Amino acid sequence: MADNSIKIFTGNSHPELAKLVANRIGIDLAKAVVMKYSNQETSVTIGESVRDEDVFIIQSGCGEINDNLMELLIMINACKTASARRITAVIPCFPYARQDKKDKSRAPITAKLTANMLTVAGANHVITMDLHASQIQGFFNVPVDNLYCEPSMIKYISTQIPNWKNALIVSPDAGGAKRATSIADRLNLDFALIHKERKRANEVSRMVLVGDVRGKIAILVDDMADTCGTLGLAAKTLVENGAEKVYAIVAHGILSGKAIKVINESVIEKLVVTNTIPHEDKMAICPKLDVIDISPTLAEAIRRTHNGESVSYLFSHVPE
Amino acid sequence: MKDLVVFGGLSHPELLTAVCNRLGIPEGKTKLCKFSNNETSVEIQESVREQDVYIIQSGCGTVNDNLFQLLIMINACKVASAKRITAVLPHFPYSRQPDIPYQPSSGAPLPKLPPATPRGGLASGQVTPNTSTTEDVSKQLMKQLTKVSLQEKQVDQDGKPAYRQWIARSGTLVADLLTCAGVDHIITMEMHDPQFQGFFDCPVDNLVSLPLMIKYIRHEIPNYQDCVIVSPDAGGAKRATSIAEKLRMDFALVHKERRRSSSSSSKKRDLMLVGDVRGRDICIVDDIVDTSYTITRAARILRENGARKIYALVCHAILSGGAVRNIEDSCIDQLIVSNTIPQNDHLQNSTKIKVYDVAPIFSEAIRRTHFGESVSMLFDPQFEII
Repeated sequence: MADNSIKIFTGNSHPELAKLVANRIGIDLAKAVVMKYSNQETSVTIGESVRDEDVFIIQSGCGEINDNLMELLIMINACKTASARRITAVIPCFPYARQDKKDKSRAPITAKLTANMLTVAGANHVITMDLHASQIQGFFNVPVDNLYCEPSMIKYISTQIPNWKNALIVSPDAGGAKRATSIADRLNLDFALIHKERKRANEVSRMVLVGDVRGKIAILVDDMADTCGTLGLAAKTLVENGAEKVYAIVAHGILSGKAIKVINESVIEKLVVTNTIPHEDKMAICPKLDVIDISPTLAEAIRRTHNGESVSYLFSHVPE
Repeated sequence: MKDLVVFGGLSHPELLTAVCNRLGIPEGKTKLCKFSNNETSVEIQESVREQDVYIIQSGCGTVNDNLFQLLIMINACKVASAKRITAVLPHFPYSRQPDIPYQPSSGAPLPKLPPATPRGGLASGQVTPNTSTTEDVSKQLMKQLTKVSLQEKQVDQDGKPAYRQWIARSGTLVADLLTCAGVDHIITMEMHDPQFQGFFDCPVDNLVSLPLMIKYIRHEIPNYQDCVIVSPDAGGAKRATSIAEKLRMDFALVHKERRRSSSSSSKKRDLMLVGDVRGRDICIVDDIVDTSYTITRAARILRENGARKIYALVCHAILSGGAVRNIEDSCIDQLIVSNTIPQNDHLQNSTKIKVYDVAPIFSEAIRRTHFGESVSMLFDPQFEII
């Protein structure tokens, strides 16, 4: 058991999630004022003593990403100069995770830059969820806990989707096949894959379904839904090939630009996302949106990290 | 010129064009924008392998976005095998270290704070555009801090001494971020805090705008020998006296007094003028004008003490919030600023603002750094750059 206490801070990116996590652990959020000066510089004031405490800063990479990332870095640095014992950055949706390799000339590897910046600011530990590529853990020299939404997704499918035993799991692209097969194995369901065929450079790509969906419920599984172009096209392909209904379950629902319009007009029955990213305003205009609460997983991870217990339980179970 | 590439971020494209024209090279080709989810996207569209790369980005406007754009561009060039990467920051962001003024005896914060416009706050993600409200927002900041802790009392419920609030200082952090992104050299101008250079492990050139200010005074201000140089606060006295010495002009100082009197709830700060300005023209000299409270208050007290025409010479003109309107309504006759921060919008809304160009100094600094020559002449006011 640790002899110091947990202090949970939050920036302006997702305060509701932080409140849920703090309630679950049974403490109040630590006091801090994070805002902007008139010349747009970020200002952080820590409102309580953090000397020798175990500090957790919850900030998601969503909304105004650069502003939120700067708030996180300044808060970490403020706690470091205030002699905190250990600083853990809890980043439910890791920013710039998709720029993780040099896929064309002179492309920056911004995920590595973000990892360097977090370490330089003074983070000793990072907790994140469903990294776009789990190899990003290797960009850090400090320990990284990459938690999974998979147990929460499995619980949702088995409790909220009617007739789920007659469903099959579909991955909307080839890269997500591993993720989808692991869920299919746990639920003992069949699996299918959608493959984008590019014949020529300027030709619209065709979507090819690999597997049989006739007369079944299709559940699309992916890690991110940004503009939802892929999801909309995939759902159309599934229905054309005989699927009865199409659900989509996604870990990080970024839903930027025309995404809500695409979802509302598509054949998708329901789009289920987690609350790594705030969704209140989107739920008002999209009746097909449903949210899984992952704050129990984060709260358990924080509690176990503080007490020095194993976190492995969370990789296959949802805390009650 | 061989092996030299100059890129610019989105914060100040006119400065990039001016600098590249003076150097006689084409601007570096990049594609800078944002992805649909607000992440910054950087594409460098020419080869930088084994080149001497300069990236011009000012810390103004949407400061965090511009800072990240700069960091990602530096990282892209490093990953693409550039030989040396220099970041040129005409206005260095986060260079002012805020400090809540506190009563020395009790340690509790003073009732009045420097004006700030808080946007959002505890658990609020709303983004409101920066409207020109001139309400006293220092009260808002105090209200938020009082909500957040018990600062009036000396002890809290448990009998322990109350925690003293302090604002985080981001100076070292920004220096570390630039270094970890991969920058080898920094060129900046008139840093608010010159000791900042020591926060970096790489060489920092802190250029001065003094020669340009002196050139402006000599050429544009009529009868300048009879003017008085005034510093609007005690911290800028050194800067103002160095100009006054070089031009053999008189000097005065406006001083903010914080009296420890019993009536601590006075509305106005006590301003004192040290020096004689009756019947003289004035040049107020400062390094940054942000909300413009400092120079407009100084101008008012100078007018009350008999000053005639009042010019204000400032290097970095951030002019945020309602500052431009404040300047128009104030006793200042002309505000002369540099273009380290883009001024086109401010010029449209004001008749009193004039701009002097700093592109010559930066292009000379870049040229001399590239060829390995000395830049000392840029600090010498005798040397006039054409």
